[in-house]
Amino acid sequence: MSYKIPMGPYHPGLEEPYKLDMICEGETVKDAELHIGFNFRGIEHLAETRNYFQVIALMERVCGICSFIHTLTLCQSMEKLAGLEAPPRAQYIRVVMAELERLHSHVLWAGIAAKLMGFKTMFMTCFALREKVMDVLQAISGNRVNYSMNCVGGVNRDIEDPAALAPMIDELEREMMRTVIPIFTTSSTARSRCAGIGVLTHEKAVSCAVVGPTARASGVPQDLRRDAPYAAYAEMKFEVPVEQAGDVRARLFVRALEIIESCGILRQALSKMPPGEISTGGDKFNFATGTATSRVEAPRGEVMYSVTWKEGSRNPARVHARTPTYANMPAVRWMVRGARLADTPLIQASIDPCYSCTDR
Amino acid sequence: MTALDTIREKLGTAEPWVESRGTWWLNPGAVSVRELAQAMNAIGARFVTITAYQLPGDAGFRLEYHWDLTGRLLGFPFQIAGNSIESIFDLCEAADWIEREIHEEYSIDFAGRAYEPLLLRQGDKPGVNLREEVAK
Repeated sequence: MSYKIPMGPYHPGLEEPYKLDMICEGETVKDAELHIGFNFRGIEHLAETRNYFQVIALMERVCGICSFIHTLTLCQSMEKLAGLEAPPRAQYIRVVMAELERLHSHVLWAGIAAKLMGFKTMFMTCFALREKVMDVLQAISGNRVNYSMNCVGGVNRDIEDPAALAPMIDELEREMMRTVIPIFTTSSTARSRCAGIGVLTHEKAVSCAVVGPTARASGVPQDLRRDAPYAAYAEMKFEVPVEQAGDVRARLFVRALEIIESCGILRQALSKMPPGEISTGGDKFNFATGTATSRVEAPRGEVMYSVTWKEGSRNPARVHARTPTYANMPAVRWMVRGARLADTPLIQASIDPCYSCTDR
Repeated sequence: MTALDTIREKLGTAEPWVESRGTWWLNPGAVSVRELAQAMNAIGARFVTITAYQLPGDAGFRLEYHWDLTGRLLGFPFQIAGNSIESIFDLCEAADWIEREIHEEYSIDFAGRAYEPLLLRQGDKPGVNLREEVAK
């Protein structure tokens, strides 16, 4: 006999609202229904009422973790409409911020995953490490969450002494190599809670069009930083980690390896940062009539913005944001099928869901 | 033959690809959105999203369908005079939520599919969020 277990909208592990109704037989989940939209904010509609400065601040609030990525994607779209290209130094600063945000996101996720595994010491370790990443973000931008770094035509703040940040990056990498990565990849606790759990097959990953680490952990080798480079990524050397198993452990491995790659990219960007201006300057722009799209590889996967403008207008006519969790979350239904009920919080968390992005 | 030529051949269209601001656009002409989805499946493109626009006056809507082909963003604009377009959900399950969202934001019907309860729970009826005349 089957019965339904509702999980959420007040989630036991994640402090954002969504609901998973699980149809179970005994301890086994047979199927699941996902419900979102409990905190829908209508940000796309609000964007049409904001001018070209205000809309950047607004879209920075789509997500609390990858706020930089959202303004980067938006500004790249607006730059296409204005016929502007950010100066080389600004492109490098954008890479530095984007990779720090990836570190921030992956370490935050690792902490939450550890908590859901019942590995509370690891949770504390990850969050202490996250503070160090945020220290670097604060040193650059003056802010720990919403950085206000991007503007149309570049960035608002320079990294005056890139070499001074290198020791902070070294320390971050050392800590990650010493604690987070070995424990997540070799500990029996992590293995027993993650291996073979929440499998998303390659076929289903393709069919659901999932993105980011969720896709790469199911053998889909896509990464916009390599496939469609933006900012200064074309000048960076890095690997795109791909795993084939499609389980929670594979998602964990992919993110762990991406942390190492991010440290490498950061080191390259800081050491090769060209001199020069950080923005094209000016605060009046002529946006052409039409639509421009831009895509960026956020920590959770591809973010896409379509921005439409009418020439002479101060406000965008339309802003559409497709966020990575929006693409990834429907796949949770396939991941929890056949899983033990007790594993479902961790399975959901393994896509690193952002309900704020989803309910934009 | 390039991948873009292959798509044109599969769709049987003579329309040219136009690159604009980083997106490769193809006017689908007489090709239906379902034929397009089948062609995209056949070539292994990844569905990205649909962006809906309400056109001025009674001109209807424009829906832009986006797929990714090995890092290249493809765009296909469909203009609909009424309130309805065929669903591609059964051909492309990744389109499920965005079809439901557009249905709720613009009151556009994606024909041939059933709707589950509201995706965006702060709207109490379809069309209240972005469609102007329904919102009024």
